[in-house]
Amino acid sequence: MKFIKRCPFFLLLLITGLLFSALAIAGKNNVYAAQSYDPLKAPILSVLFTGVNDDIYPWQIFTGQTRETMAQADSSGENPDLLEEEQGREGETIPSQEESASSKADTTAGEKEAFVKSGEGSGKEVNVSENEGVSANAIETEKEAGEEVLPPIEPLRESTRDEYLNHISADIYGDAGVLRAAEYEFSTVDESYFDDAMFIGDSRTVGLRDYTDLTEHSDFFCETSLTIYKVMEEDFKGKGTIESALASKDYGKIYLMVGINELGRGTTEDFMAEYTKVVQTLRQLEPEAKIFIQGVMRVTGDKNSSDAIYNNSNINARNNAIATLADNQNIFYIDVNEVVCDEEGNLNTDYTFDQIHLLGTYNDLWKQFLLEHGVKNS
Amino acid sequence: MVSFSSLEFLFRFLPVFLILYFAVPVRYRDTVFLVGSLFFYGVGEPAFVLVLIVLTMINYAMGRRIWKLGEGFTIHEWQKNKRKRYMIQAVALDVAALAVFKGLAVFVDNALLPMGISFYIFKMISYQADLVRGEVWSKPDFRKTALYFTMFPQVVQGPIMRYNEGEFDREKTSSLEQFEEGLKYFAVGLGMKVLLADRLAILWNDLQMIGFQSISTPLAWLGAAGYSLRLYFDFWGYSLMASGIMVMLGYEFIENFHHPYAARSVGDFYRRWHMTLGSWFRDYVYIPLGGSRCRKRRLILNLAIVWLLTGIWHGNGFNYVIWGVALGALIIFEKLWYGKYLKKIPILGNLYVLVVIPLTWVVFAITDLKQLGIYFGRLFPFFGGAGQAVNRMDIVRYGQNYSVYLIAGILLCVPGVFQLFEKHKKNPVVVVLLGIVFWASVYFLSSSAGNPFMYLNF
Repeated sequence: MKFIKRCPFFLLLLITGLLFSALAIAGKNNVYAAQSYDPLKAPILSVLFTGVNDDIYPWQIFTGQTRETMAQADSSGENPDLLEEEQGREGETIPSQEESASSKADTTAGEKEAFVKSGEGSGKEVNVSENEGVSANAIETEKEAGEEVLPPIEPLRESTRDEYLNHISADIYGDAGVLRAAEYEFSTVDESYFDDAMFIGDSRTVGLRDYTDLTEHSDFFCETSLTIYKVMEEDFKGKGTIESALASKDYGKIYLMVGINELGRGTTEDFMAEYTKVVQTLRQLEPEAKIFIQGVMRVTGDKNSSDAIYNNSNINARNNAIATLADNQNIFYIDVNEVVCDEEGNLNTDYTFDQIHLLGTYNDLWKQFLLEHGVKNS
Repeated sequence: MVSFSSLEFLFRFLPVFLILYFAVPVRYRDTVFLVGSLFFYGVGEPAFVLVLIVLTMINYAMGRRIWKLGEGFTIHEWQKNKRKRYMIQAVALDVAALAVFKGLAVFVDNALLPMGISFYIFKMISYQADLVRGEVWSKPDFRKTALYFTMFPQVVQGPIMRYNEGEFDREKTSSLEQFEEGLKYFAVGLGMKVLLADRLAILWNDLQMIGFQSISTPLAWLGAAGYSLRLYFDFWGYSLMASGIMVMLGYEFIENFHHPYAARSVGDFYRRWHMTLGSWFRDYVYIPLGGSRCRKRRLILNLAIVWLLTGIWHGNGFNYVIWGVALGALIIFEKLWYGKYLKKIPILGNLYVLVVIPLTWVVFAITDLKQLGIYFGRLFPFFGGAGQAVNRMDIVRYGQNYSVYLIAGILLCVPGVFQLFEKHKKNPVVVVLLGIVFWASVYFLSSSAGNPFMYLNF
């Protein structure tokens, strides 16, 4: 009793701390199994907090939700947050792994370079032979065989970090889609072309909205941290969902750029499956509209070589995947990286402060790119 | 681990250290503190801990010579002179060490600046000067001296405590009440740092992301206000955490900030902001130069020297020099010219501080001079700072996103609000609120893994 009077705050912290730790320990083999922590650097109770951050609350330990959550955690595609969290934390705290990850990035750099060259070359009929070397025929056939037959999802949590990284960045589609998309001859259009356009995207598209005058013509459905997994459910502030927007107005063009937030979640296959679903849904909702799949904008060279997840080989792998959806009739693939990247295919450092987003004023490059990549109705 | 607002420090280093510190007999506490501090620094800077140790030993040895010459009932003139000479040697060595590392940082690589060297060198200089001035009251042995220079709560970012403020002769028998009090200061500081400063830091990052040329004028001002608050709570929060730990260990509380944004002149502001640095410059530079008891010209020179040094001390870019010179100029103008009006007319002084100080912080914040010019162009567009691709509605978006933190920050700038806490800190409601602040901070630290920018999604 004497203690309560003399140091109530200390006791409060001590007791709540013990309580949180107890909950974390109780949940560690249960709802918080997917939350990782490094005992040297953080207390066990941090598991509780990262869990709450992922909307997993301690009372779920004691309720029936446990099983369900566990199941979710196991099927990586369904609850990608957990994975991202885990990856992010490991990447943050273990330098040796960071190093191995960046050396990983280096080893894939060769691949990437080849890709970038091919991206550039495709329009100018150069390097074609080199391309074929990179994009093996097997991939071509896999692509033809269809987006339907996705390879089985591996149990990621049991794979090593290297395997995992390899997996999320797996370039399983090659650049066949990109090459086919590049065959289409886009035409230059004027701004009125965007009068019936809808833009869907994450924070980068927010930049396009806020720092160009495209809003005078088009409707923007964009939100920071938007992902392909959320895009159809998202209730955009003051605008409702995309579905309701498509129902109330006839759109002639739908521009889509999402994918960077998803890099830490799931695999290329998961992402591709969801992307395909969304594009199909958009087609169904607005069959007349042309759908422009925009390749995800890359990051700068520094970011590329220092980040195990948000790097350009991962971005390129996913761009290669989504490019295969383009049929050059209703669905087109365009890649703004052509105008915002340097010779090495990294986002130009002059155009960005944070290595990810275009500075406000450089969104005009993107707009001009869009103006040069219009599709005229035949 | 060297950041107080990291899970590693909060839940690994600090608890282990506290248990050891209080488990050993009182007379060994200094030893535990010293070893813990060296461990703390060594984890943060495995290589530069040697610089700290070497400088500590040299300063101790040189200080001992000064002390020895001062022993005995009568001190002759020659002894006094010799003491002074020794002191000048020691100070020159410390200044040289700081200058060399600063030079390396500016001209070679920023990573060559040992953590906290600006702070611990200033402690070493004051130690030597205090020895000569007779402000070190009893013979400083090696353990006390080394502890004074290296103590982990102060080694990274101050406060720049004086040797005799450490009361190293008093055995640190801290009571539970004192521990409790220190813990409360620590929690308040942690909350300021994590819940306010780290959140507001993202606003400044947003502005950089947009590019200064594309921000609207209202947003430029909001950014300046946000940065001013962020810097304040970052540093005040840190100082409270540092002093809080010291109180927990049985030392006196050292005040480093006294409601600076309630000041009524720039001079007044800097008597309330980073007070231990201000008083250091006053006692070891300004007064030895002659202070203000001299002719006008000399006064101007003295102030100019102090503020130029202050600018250089704060960072490695040329913008810090501009910042120091600008502050010096403002303070000189206040002394000679308009200071009396600021005092006479009640609200004027406050408004003046609230406009001028954020502008000086912008100079402090932007190391690239071209970017600095662009930012000022956006602050004062009528001087030809035309923006590019400016979104005039940006203020609405960012105003909304950060209003909670801005309002909370402004409230905490009102002296009465913090005083209310100090007055009622034993009230159970306040205790519970503090508990919430603490755990909310831990929540943010856990979910962003110590890096506030992890919160940025794209």
